[in-house]
Amino acid sequence: METFALTEPVLLVLLSLAEQPRHGYAILKDVESISGGRVLLSTGTLYGALQRLLDNGWIERVEESETPRDRRTYKLTSRGRRNLQMEIERMRHLTKVAALRTARKEA
Amino acid sequence: MLAVYCWLLCLYPGSCRHEFGEEMTSVFREARSKLPPTLAAKISFYRSEFCGLLSGALRAHFDRLFGPGIPFPRFYMQPQFRFPRATVFLMLVILAGVVLTIEKARTIVNGPHQVTSAWTLPPWFIFLFPALACAAVAAVWGLLFALRRTGMHRLDGIQTSPVNSNPTLPGKTGLS
Repeated sequence: METFALTEPVLLVLLSLAEQPRHGYAILKDVESISGGRVLLSTGTLYGALQRLLDNGWIERVEESETPRDRRTYKLTSRGRRNLQMEIERMRHLTKVAALRTARKEA
Repeated sequence: MLAVYCWLLCLYPGSCRHEFGEEMTSVFREARSKLPPTLAAKISFYRSEFCGLLSGALRAHFDRLFGPGIPFPRFYMQPQFRFPRATVFLMLVILAGVVLTIEKARTIVNGPHQVTSAWTLPPWFIFLFPALACAAVAAVWGLLFALRRTGMHRLDGIQTSPVNSNPTLPGKTGLS
């Protein structure tokens, strides 16, 4: 079981692919949109994250014969989706604890 | 700029370049074509792209040499666990200062007869003091800047209003 926390770019890439398969530029724009314009991934960071996710089997390429080589599409695997849900659970727990602690301090 | 980008791609290991090179160039070209026409946006874009490429190439070489031992460690690319660049720069300046001081002390200890008298100092030596003063001011400024970045800047981001009852909503309190 992979219980380690994800970095923010990786998490945002996974969230982007959780909705639908996307190619590189679409992921960049979607990450920018998800984060409200706060996170602007560079191509180096994006493809570093994609390579690691591919190596770990969290995402895979969509095999389409007519897709050009410079515009390949990626999609989340079931393993990636499972790990993303675990990460969201971890964050949910963390925010719950954070809310309780900050509320207690303010009271 | 596209030529520079392609040239920088050569810093990646061959396998990475072969696998992602065309895609990265294509995405770079597309992103560049949709940039706002302001100079600031262009500078920010190129800076981010070239820094991303350099760090990505370094990371790819590291992974190739040592293997991806830790898949996605939190201390990698995570803003709140990363040293601000100003701190790293300041640490390097201090390190350089310490090394130079040690070297100077070693020279003095090894050959005290070689230490020149104040009366025989070369004329350019007088400019050394203003330069040292400027360096000291720059170091203090760097220190203050680093402290502001690490402390005040992040304190500003702390949410003081009542926390949203739905913790699943995205926001800056998540992983930002």
